[in-house]
Amino acid sequence: MAPLQKRALYSFVIGLVLTIALIIVLVLQGDITAFERDLSLRLFMYAVLIGVPLIYLVLVSLTLRKPTQFDERDRLIIEKSSRAQWLAVIFSLVVWTIALTEIYRDQGQVPVVFLNLIFMSALIISALAQSLGILVGYWDMNRNG
Amino acid sequence: MGRIENRIRRLRFDHDEMTQEELASRAGCTRQTIIALEQGKYVPSIELAFRIARALGASLEEVFQYEHR
Repeated sequence: MAPLQKRALYSFVIGLVLTIALIIVLVLQGDITAFERDLSLRLFMYAVLIGVPLIYLVLVSLTLRKPTQFDERDRLIIEKSSRAQWLAVIFSLVVWTIALTEIYRDQGQVPVVFLNLIFMSALIISALAQSLGILVGYWDMNRNG
Repeated sequence: MGRIENRIRRLRFDHDEMTQEELASRAGCTRQTIIALEQGKYVPSIELAFRIARALGASLEEVFQYEHR
């Protein structure tokens, strides 16, 4: 398994665990507005969502510096995975926009908590889609060349 | 459409059975790329092709061949 492929797999698993953990935390809080009321919960979420990707990026950039760890083939796969990443993020934003518009149309305004949720989901979907794109890229390249 | 083939595996063995790891290190790429090249599942850039040829002490044409169909 290529070093980048290994890291993409770790990233995908960590991303999934993080997503499930966040959903559990939100569900345990009772309803979605609890997130808006609880400052400590919000700060914890921001710290996790910004801190984990930052730590991961630093670790990846440190370990994938050598050409024997990361080369043109890996770069090609990353470029392809970026397309999947952007498509997934745009698709999620389209879903959020349609859903919120239709649900809150009568009230004429959307609760501010959804800004946070859109931000979190975009970050998570972006990370998961890139990891998945990299894994699919390796699988496809090993299969079809 | 043509197809680019290579003799990397053959040339590695001609060089005292040079390992894939060693060739990757000399050419500045990952071992997985050498594996993909030997299996014909990846076509390298011109730059990498030159580096591999140099690492094997051969010319570009000795390592890579273009098969026209």
